[in-house]
Amino acid sequence: MTTEKAATAVREQLERMRSAGCSFADARFYDEDASQRVVLYDGNLESNNRGLERGIGVRVLFQGAWGFAATADLGAIPACFDRALANARAAAGLPGFPRDMGPAQPAKGEYRAPVVKDPFDVPLAEKLAFLTAIDARLKDETVKQRIIHARFQRRRIHYWNTEGTEVSRLVLNTFATMMVMAPDKDGRTQRRSLELFSDGSGTRGWEWLIAPERFAGHAERLKRELSEIIAADPMPPGRRDLIILPGQGFLQVHETIGHALELDRILGYELSFAGGSHVRPEMIGTLRYGSDLLNCRAGVTPNSPGTFGFDDEGTPQRDYYLIKQGILVNVLSSRTDLGEANAKAGRTVVTESGTAARACSFYRTPIDRMTNINIEPGDGGTLDDITAATENGIIVDVPVSWSIGSNREHFHFGTEIAWEVKDGRRTRVFKNPTYQGHTLEFWRSLDKVGDKSTWLLQSVPNCGKGEPNQVMELGHGIPVMRFHDVQCGESEAAQK
Amino acid sequence: MLEQRIRELLCSARDESRKAGMNVELSLHREQSNLIRLGNSAVALATHEGLTRLDVSVQDGRKVGSFSLTADIVSAEQLREAVGHAAENCKAALPKDYDPIFGVIEEAVDDSTGFDPKLESLSAVDKTALCAKVVGELKPRGHYDFSGSWSTGSTEMYYLTTANDLEAYRRLTDGRFVMVLKEQDKKWELQVELTQKAAGTFTAAEVIARFAALLPVYEQNDGYATTPDRQRVLFGPQAIAQLVSLALWGGFFGRAWEEKRSWTAQNKFGDKVLGDAITIVDDPDSPDVFGMPFDFIGKRRRPFTVVEKGIFKGLIYDSASAARYGKKPTGHDIGTGDFTLAPGDGAPGLEAGRKLAGDALYIPHLHYIHMPDPTKGMFTGSSRFNAMRIKGGEFVAPIFSSRVTDTSPSVFGNVVGMSSRTVSHNESATYGRRTPEAIGVPEWLLCDNVRISDVADSF
Repeated sequence: MTTEKAATAVREQLERMRSAGCSFADARFYDEDASQRVVLYDGNLESNNRGLERGIGVRVLFQGAWGFAATADLGAIPACFDRALANARAAAGLPGFPRDMGPAQPAKGEYRAPVVKDPFDVPLAEKLAFLTAIDARLKDETVKQRIIHARFQRRRIHYWNTEGTEVSRLVLNTFATMMVMAPDKDGRTQRRSLELFSDGSGTRGWEWLIAPERFAGHAERLKRELSEIIAADPMPPGRRDLIILPGQGFLQVHETIGHALELDRILGYELSFAGGSHVRPEMIGTLRYGSDLLNCRAGVTPNSPGTFGFDDEGTPQRDYYLIKQGILVNVLSSRTDLGEANAKAGRTVVTESGTAARACSFYRTPIDRMTNINIEPGDGGTLDDITAATENGIIVDVPVSWSIGSNREHFHFGTEIAWEVKDGRRTRVFKNPTYQGHTLEFWRSLDKVGDKSTWLLQSVPNCGKGEPNQVMELGHGIPVMRFHDVQCGESEAAQK
Repeated sequence: MLEQRIRELLCSARDESRKAGMNVELSLHREQSNLIRLGNSAVALATHEGLTRLDVSVQDGRKVGSFSLTADIVSAEQLREAVGHAAENCKAALPKDYDPIFGVIEEAVDDSTGFDPKLESLSAVDKTALCAKVVGELKPRGHYDFSGSWSTGSTEMYYLTTANDLEAYRRLTDGRFVMVLKEQDKKWELQVELTQKAAGTFTAAEVIARFAALLPVYEQNDGYATTPDRQRVLFGPQAIAQLVSLALWGGFFGRAWEEKRSWTAQNKFGDKVLGDAITIVDDPDSPDVFGMPFDFIGKRRRPFTVVEKGIFKGLIYDSASAARYGKKPTGHDIGTGDFTLAPGDGAPGLEAGRKLAGDALYIPHLHYIHMPDPTKGMFTGSSRFNAMRIKGGEFVAPIFSSRVTDTSPSVFGNVVGMSSRTVSHNESATYGRRTPEAIGVPEWLLCDNVRISDVADSF
């Protein structure tokens, strides 16, 4: 079926849903959802896959309840709408706070991800030649395993709703990771890795991946740091100042700010799976989330998988503060839950969609997701300045393990590497670093935020959430950050 | 057997590929998935997905390429194109430095024994009605809110290879019901979780009774903050399933062992690696699992022991790891498998577990578990639903969120007792395609010296 025919069929069905008493209905037609995944493991091509998905997802709001249906059979679009309506009618059988889209917000537009060279136009042989050259640079006597992973996405998505919104998007993403591993003298496998990153500007096609400063140019550094890790002593436990590089800071923000501020989690809609949040609606506008230095935005960063033009409700993506000078001022939301949040808060705490309604495919329904959850640069200077101002601390980079409380109230992270800081100087590398803390206490201890020179955008290709489960792509722009007096390693009592 | 029209198209594609001298594997996955999502004591969403996926893999010597298509299977031309895309990928591939294993169906399989049409078609209306009964009965009893999900559906898996004319087909149904009761002021959460293979295996009354059994301890007692220390812990089904998964993932996967990245890396078969009480078997014949009869290189799956009475017996090799390290694949070119932890000799029932425990923590769920150090088998995760303090063999208080950071060898080396009755814990995820998976575990496991590394001041 052509896009034009699909559009005609969808418009007819949307009108039919309105006539059937639906307060809102929408459809997302994925004309193309192409993917390519290439994995080199010790130089062997262990994954060499291309994928193609094409289909339609339909959402219907009936008597305050959502129904959703999806099909890859484009000859069955009317039946798909019928399924969605039947599901919404069934859901309305156990009503709660009525889901409501608020005032109509018709929009028309197009979005094209900034790309110079579409990775799908690059022959596989050229991709393999590029990745194999990196693999060769990762080889040495110390390195026991080498993994290079590249993944590309191209999605042509058309969106329509009963308010007259019609939006088309061409979303294109490039992800890549390289990792080296080796055993240390205790037999424990250590690793050092890097995810393709940016400074938030530029474009996200093949040209991004092949820019040496963004990926390949770090191969020698990773190898060198791995050899330092395997020769290092374990990090002695204790309380110290913790300096987090963007390679670790992105996950700290992701897990303890991003997820905690998703409105569906706050309202309890994710409770049985992903979990809830320590934030309650009435805290919006008053909660001291962090120190005065903490400024966090849901940003529209040009070169990021968290930038998509319009969300999956057709709302133009916008840029806004989540936390300003340490105070929680907004949350990640779609149009659906604003009324419920305000009712539960007993006052107006959210006024417009956070444009965070996102679905990972045609066969999943939009839920509240992270976009670009960025920390603004501060006036703490460069990494060297922050190091110089630190008496007793460690610098940590890149997660190895992470475990977070169900309400995002506490956390435990392990990282690939730590550098000890004594009297303003990096002194040595530690292996097996971990740190833990309680979310609000931790962010309130933020006492240095690096300047723009320290700010990097890290891609997240695999954020999991929702039922049915969804894996989403997004970004985090993060400066170097320092936190005062953090428990690094296990506490004395826990070491028994 | 698979719908005749699609079967004929796929068999023709196989035969055509074989005539062209190609080595081709074709895997079809079809699902009918239905889910309702409960939030704030209402059905917030009901979904249906009807999807067909085809995976094509082409092998030419040491080169392999694949292509995946999510679309209805409608024509021979469509399949030719899919095979062509995989062949293009194969042609441009780099040769491996070992011989990859090509799939051969060992034995024809046509298995629909796990299929229940009533569960496949269980409607959102029926599900909503059951949830409404539970909510209607329990909500007036306190300041409670309910959330959860109920996923049901059917899965068909069909596998062909040009190596021979055999076909492997499986059709089954599965369901996972999860309901969470949250006290809105005190913020504690209780959960009921049930696995289904057929419709009608539980009622609203049973769900209500399970919640009702937990409520008095939570309602009548304040939260208890334990201290970071080594403690006696009584684990429940979800936590046990997580512990088994971590022990397997960190210790018994062939690739990690070969590369010295597993906590068993210094051990060989026959070594004592866990406590005497621990026997872990991938057992597709167990009634507690969904029992996948074949894998996606055509191997017939049979019981496979990894640990027997604490003795290291087996390593799991999928075809890629086996090929690379010169081993035979063990039937694990599937998702996780059908693992079971053999029961102990403890009396059945949670009451027997807590009586045996005396003074302990009851942690039936571990949330967001991860492995900071797989080479030591070290994991960390925090308690969540239904966790309580046990004193004098009785549940006396709910406990605040407590972090467990320990190792698989330590936890499974300090077993005090285990229930003689097993239960099925549903491990199915719905990322991507529907893949029913469960782990069979004793309903309780009592361990000494479990390390509690951090304690929150909230649930």
